[in-house]
Amino acid sequence: MMTKRFSCSTCQSADKPLGQFIADLPIETSFHRVEAQEVKCEFGLEGVCCRLCANGPCRITPDSPRGICGADADTMVTRNFLRAVSAGSGCYIHIVENTAWNLKNTALAKGTLKGRNALERLCDMFEVTGADVYEKAVNVAEAVLADLYKPAFERMELTKKLAYAPRYRRWEELGILPGGAKSEVFSGTVKSSTNLNSDPVDMLLHCLRLGISTGLYGLTLTNLLNDVMLGEPEIRLAPVGFRVIDPDYINIMITGHQHSMITALQDRLIEADVIQKAKAVGAKGFKLVGCTCVGQDLQLRGAHYTEIFDGHGGNNFTSEAILATGAIDAVLTDFNCTLPGIEPICDGLQIKQICLDSVAKKANAELIDFSFDVRTAATERILDDIIAAYVARRGEVPLNLLPEHGNDNTLTGLSEGSLKAFLGDTWQPLIDLIAGGQIKGLAAVVGCSNLVSGGHDVLTVELTKELIAKDILVLSAGCSSGGLENCGLMSPDAAELAGPKLKAICQQLGIPPVLNFGPCLAIGRLEIVATEIAAALGVDLPQLPLVLSAPQWLEEQALADGAFGLALGLPLHLGLPPFVTGSPIAVQVLCEDMKTLTGGHVLINGDAIESAILLEDIILQKRKALGLS
Amino acid sequence: MRRILIEADKCKGCKNCSVACMKAHVPEGTVFSLSDPQFESRNTILLDSEEKCRPLFCRHCDKPACVNSCMSGALVKNPDGHVLYDRDKCAQCFMCVMNCPFGVLKPDRATGTYVVKCDFCALHGGEPSCVKNCPTEAIYVKEVE
Repeated sequence: MMTKRFSCSTCQSADKPLGQFIADLPIETSFHRVEAQEVKCEFGLEGVCCRLCANGPCRITPDSPRGICGADADTMVTRNFLRAVSAGSGCYIHIVENTAWNLKNTALAKGTLKGRNALERLCDMFEVTGADVYEKAVNVAEAVLADLYKPAFERMELTKKLAYAPRYRRWEELGILPGGAKSEVFSGTVKSSTNLNSDPVDMLLHCLRLGISTGLYGLTLTNLLNDVMLGEPEIRLAPVGFRVIDPDYINIMITGHQHSMITALQDRLIEADVIQKAKAVGAKGFKLVGCTCVGQDLQLRGAHYTEIFDGHGGNNFTSEAILATGAIDAVLTDFNCTLPGIEPICDGLQIKQICLDSVAKKANAELIDFSFDVRTAATERILDDIIAAYVARRGEVPLNLLPEHGNDNTLTGLSEGSLKAFLGDTWQPLIDLIAGGQIKGLAAVVGCSNLVSGGHDVLTVELTKELIAKDILVLSAGCSSGGLENCGLMSPDAAELAGPKLKAICQQLGIPPVLNFGPCLAIGRLEIVATEIAAALGVDLPQLPLVLSAPQWLEEQALADGAFGLALGLPLHLGLPPFVTGSPIAVQVLCEDMKTLTGGHVLINGDAIESAILLEDIILQKRKALGLS
Repeated sequence: MRRILIEADKCKGCKNCSVACMKAHVPEGTVFSLSDPQFESRNTILLDSEEKCRPLFCRHCDKPACVNSCMSGALVKNPDGHVLYDRDKCAQCFMCVMNCPFGVLKPDRATGTYVVKCDFCALHGGEPSCVKNCPTEAIYVKEVE
């Protein structure tokens, strides 16, 4: 069947069965392309290549310390960095904007709102009300949209209601409270254009401003608005990995971040007449196979979607391999992370590619208008297209399944609400465990996977193992979760890998030492957890024995997330520097001066053991400052 | 003779040398494209065991193993010291490729019928394009004994 390997050079993978599966594939994947891209341009790595004008590209060397225009390394680096953070922020703001519109339109149409408690919570937080749930939901959505569309000179009103008061005060003192979130992205783009801003510190402060709007709106609010529409997360055990792919069904792999966009289709797939259509062509029905963050979000809310969703397959760089099983009939994309590398695979295996949002239009995919008022008709068309793909390809395209991959007992459904409920509707048990030293501290290991930090998920998994062995409880959100769960670290059995104190707690409660909050959007949920714990203790966030790590950050969105972490005053560990090392000022501000600005700072280390020691030291220092032994 | 010397510590891995080499050897009437496999560089940058850049260029060796192993006379060491290749005389045995101690010589990727070999930019005044385009002076030309 599939006997001839594409090539014998693939990058490492923390998930060994996945690595072997990819190494044996007859097709090219991202894993195969790492070696040919091994030599990196140092100018790009250090952020000192500028091509903002026709004089460029200009590069900084000891003999040419300024570009033709006069920009030095500090200006070049921070300009490039601000551009990246602006783009990353724009991505998340796009997501929350669409989510708010979906909530408003759903409510106006008196559609399904599964999370009534979540709605009440938002109404309380925003101090809005309405005659019924629909009017309340419309008012909540409109409050969010009104903020997003404000000009840059007008502060967003919900920021103060969403932010922890000590943080809000600090941001006000620093002058980094954001204006309208879309306008702030616009300003970041303008500032970093040709011969405009050249002040490295001003541009780094703008990154913090974008971090706040990205975090509170793009992350936190997207979760909370989705909770209203899609139902709140409930803690449960679920299967993960390639085992979730059942070839007896018509399988749709979902990639993206905008869960509320696909729900109309998702709900339609389990209606009797649609199942009948599937049966008519020889399938048992339809299944969604989770991939990237939209899959993580579906898994998080899986308690509400048991019929259509069997589980999460894997994260960003797992997507090509999931398609290579041959059992996927269509890819439904609402956003990133949808690798261009899936295109030739889809072509070769006759997999239908459909995009629902033009921002994620793939070259050979069909872009289908899925806006709210036309999505019912569009759903029928998509179903017919996918059924046609199933009929054309099944039997023709060989299957290459990996049913033993992953596990059946990943603990999922964790959120600020479900975790607190699990603890008895109070954070006190967790606070007591931290105070007593059974849990040394908390580490949020978040972000993406990249293929150059030792390989796929390698640093994420190794660092997490080191942290839990030191009795540090790890919380994860993003593609990092996808890697950690497929490697078994989110299963209760993983307690064996934890230090003696954390192990005892995990075994007592039947939980793993790594808690799965789902998509990268849920970094916003982790912020709520941290804020509520800080509030219970009467301290500010930088005082908590809490560290943030994006060991394998990949993309511009991760940089905007990182800016949020710094605005929150958290120590932020990265495995690779974000193209800033060419600027002494950027390094000084991010790694040192930030401590006096927000309380946070960046630390960079690509070694799992060293990084864990550094992070443990920070936690121990914070414990000491709080008077904990 | 004039030879390209390398200070590897100065190399930033930008690959300007490779692109310059490709562009210096575009046949007349063809349009250069970075994604067309017919355009190949005669030099490359590899990473050593410490992940540091190691630029590799034809050394135009004093005792060239490629010339010694060439049975057709396609490879000759010129009086000025440079090793030049005549494609018309090549019998495609590729013993030069096998014998190059630096692994620099290679059959062409697109057809596999000739050897891709540095000519010291003979058609560009004998000033190597790679050297002219290195932004850090990691490679330079020097008159050596």
